[in-house]
Amino acid sequence: MPTVRLRDPSEYPESARALFELSKSWFGHDFPVPPAMSRVMAWDPEFGGPHGRAMKRAMAPGEFSRAEKEMVAAVVSGMNACPY
Amino acid sequence: MTAHTAAGKLQGLADDALWYEAAHVVGITNALNVVADAGGRTPGLASVLPPVDERTAAPEVASVFAEIRAFYARPDVPLPFRIVAADPGYLADLWKAARHAFEANRLPRRLKAALAFAVSVTSRSSFGAAFHGEEMRRLGVGRAGLLEVLGVTQLFSSYTKIADTLQLDPDMGHIAPIDRSPAPGGAAAAPGAPGSGPRP
Repeated sequence: MPTVRLRDPSEYPESARALFELSKSWFGHDFPVPPAMSRVMAWDPEFGGPHGRAMKRAMAPGEFSRAEKEMVAAVVSGMNACPY
Repeated sequence: MTAHTAAGKLQGLADDALWYEAAHVVGITNALNVVADAGGRTPGLASVLPPVDERTAAPEVASVFAEIRAFYARPDVPLPFRIVAADPGYLADLWKAARHAFEANRLPRRLKAALAFAVSVTSRSSFGAAFHGEEMRRLGVGRAGLLEVLGVTQLFSSYTKIADTLQLDPDMGHIAPIDRSPAPGGAAAAPGAPGSGPRP
């Protein structure tokens, strides 16, 4: 169970809610409620913004495809024993 | 972890076979790294289990060593294999499993090297980071590609710790497509059998 209360999307300012739309296009999935991580990263856009841009830069297709990089991210999460 | 497995499936890596292969690479990479890193320290495993000398290895060990050198196209046998070579039968089976995990199958060998590199960096394995980084370069990955994998490894070592600190529950596993194919060589699940229904 989360150690903080995850805010409903309606509790975020308009500018932060725009980030939730970006997460839909990033994952190619129409989330009825933004994923918990999206809501966490939108809490402080001065952290979440550049962190998210760095992530998208790292995940952009290059020598490895986006899908291959998602697999790399999955094994990193596994090694970190992170169920999320 | 479920978020990225789901995202990867949505990005086209939908078959479970790909993820089984990736998991095998993760497992055997970690297995080799723990022995190599323990063996490479002073005093380390080598003080109680000296690596087998390639020049004086018994014939059954020498033949496995030759396969290892050929597979990795390098003049020496990596340390973890030399440490366990004191038991030729164990070495032979460990190598068979490692070779099968790392050879190209559904996943290309360069991606497997990248996964092993990410595993090694994440687990702070100096042996694995160097070995699999060199393997990536040997298999044609450029410096930019190496940095791409390092960047993904670094950023998702951040996301995972944010998720863990806040104890976030997985909430994206359900978005991935389900692969209902049977195990290799097996039959499709009967209706109503475990695995035949929708994802819980």
